Amino acid sequence: MEEKIKIEVKNFSFYYAKSDKPALKNINMPVYENRVTALIGPSGCGKTTLLRSFNRMHDLYHGNRYEGEILLDGKNILADDVDLIDLRSRVGMVFQKPTPFPMSIFDNVAYGLKLRGIKNKSELEGRVEKALKQAALWEEVKDRLKDSASGLSGGQQQRLVIARALAVEPEVLLFDEPTSALDPISTSKIEELVVSLKETVTIIIVTHNMQQAARVSDYTAFMYLGELIEFDKTDIIFTSPKKKLTEDYITGRFG
Amino acid sequence: MTLVQRRKLKGYIALTLSTLAALSGLFWLVFIIFDVLRHGITALNLDLFLEDPAPPGIPEGGLRNAFVGQLLITSVATLIGVPLGVLGGTFIAEYARGTKFARLISILSDIMVSVPSIVVGTFIYAILVKPFGHFSGWAGAAALAFIMIPVVLRTTEDMLKLVPWTLREAAFALGASYFRVIKDIAYRAAATGILTGIILAIARVAGETAPLLFTSFNNSYFTLNMNEPMASLTVTIFNYAMGPYEDWHEKAWAAAFVITVVILVVTVVTRSIIHWRYKN
Repeated sequence: MEEKIKIEVKNFSFYYAKSDKPALKNINMPVYENRVTALIGPSGCGKTTLLRSFNRMHDLYHGNRYEGEILLDGKNILADDVDLIDLRSRVGMVFQKPTPFPMSIFDNVAYGLKLRGIKNKSELEGRVEKALKQAALWEEVKDRLKDSASGLSGGQQQRLVIARALAVEPEVLLFDEPTSALDPISTSKIEELVVSLKETVTIIIVTHNMQQAARVSDYTAFMYLGELIEFDKTDIIFTSPKKKLTEDYITGRFG
Repeated sequence: MTLVQRRKLKGYIALTLSTLAALSGLFWLVFIIFDVLRHGITALNLDLFLEDPAPPGIPEGGLRNAFVGQLLITSVATLIGVPLGVLGGTFIAEYARGTKFARLISILSDIMVSVPSIVVGTFIYAILVKPFGHFSGWAGAAALAFIMIPVVLRTTEDMLKLVPWTLREAAFALGASYFRVIKDIAYRAAATGILTGIILAIARVAGETAPLLFTSFNNSYFTLNMNEPMASLTVTIFNYAMGPYEDWHEKAWAAAFVITVVILVVTVVTRSIIHWRYKN
């Protein structure tokens, strides 16, 4: 089966402010369209740093530097003239801890749409419902859309945040350890969701949990000390990795 | 005595002491309100609010001029002080977060909060009264605003800093501009704290006398013109309490009662509204 490249990372290095040592060293990897790509590796290996480069979250802080290229549909998103608001509406993000905004469930999901100037009430209602259904939350909240989002459980909040990201119909969705603050049942719901979402979006997920990477992803990138050690299909990484380091990590010998 | 008994005993002692401390705070509040009421009850009638002062020594009239003056001066001070304080606090907590400049403003505000209010009064006297040659309501409002700004600024800063940074990142990740992140997310999350700070700042300046002595001074006549000297409740209480007439003393007590109760009610009502909104 022919895979289509959605994002291509080319000779990419990243420096945090006031640091001469790169946090990411010369990364090269593809991200395939409508596939789930997992970033794994021990703490501090740079997987979250890489993830946050895809929507240029690092730009929020002064002095951070990118080198090389990250091509989204062939266009370098690290170029100076890239509109960050436009980029972030194409590349959504879900964080480690649920981040519901201090407003109602409906307003949370509608927030990104309102940012894009959509005011029509019936259109908003339609897209909020669609996003909540996609995030498998609709049945649980359809009778209390006006309630505050802070009243939801942790797992529901995380699905709400996913719905909020989906509402603006992004092309790529970044997940930064989305289940590390959740209980096992909520975790499995989010995992099912990630798998089902790849029909419409390209997904990159950072996880500490190797079983999770094995369960949800099609491709896996193993990173260590800011370098990409190995990238391949997930079943190859987990069954017959080419590098000794990858094998040691997968089998739990370190990390 | 066993270890558990000793711990329980310590717990009871701590509970008793803190309960007593809380009760003593409440006791003085109730004591003040009732004492002020007892002395001012005879002067506490509709005329107090609807009539202007009668000539000295004639036990008629009211303090309409002072009530209206107080309301005007405090309102204008709030209109100047709250936006400046909130925007300043927003600047140092958001746009200039972590910079030396922000730190400097923060420290200067702390110093300004502790400047005696009479110093603020003389300062405004020098820049807004002396050059114009007369006392004015504007100068009084400016003095009160000057006192409000650092209080509101520091509260806004502190409350915005309590909002988790990840919440802002989540909004940025949806493609929000920094302005929208502040307006839609940070303000909303910090609203309770900021509003409480604003109310406390208003309550604080509404009870100030010293800065008004040098700025709005006093006026025995009713006026809505902020360019003229303007009566205020606090200065009137001060003058009447020092005056030689028995009915002045009663009116001062009544005015003191009204201003205390109004500040108390405003504070309690706002807090309950905020609490109620927060719960929903």
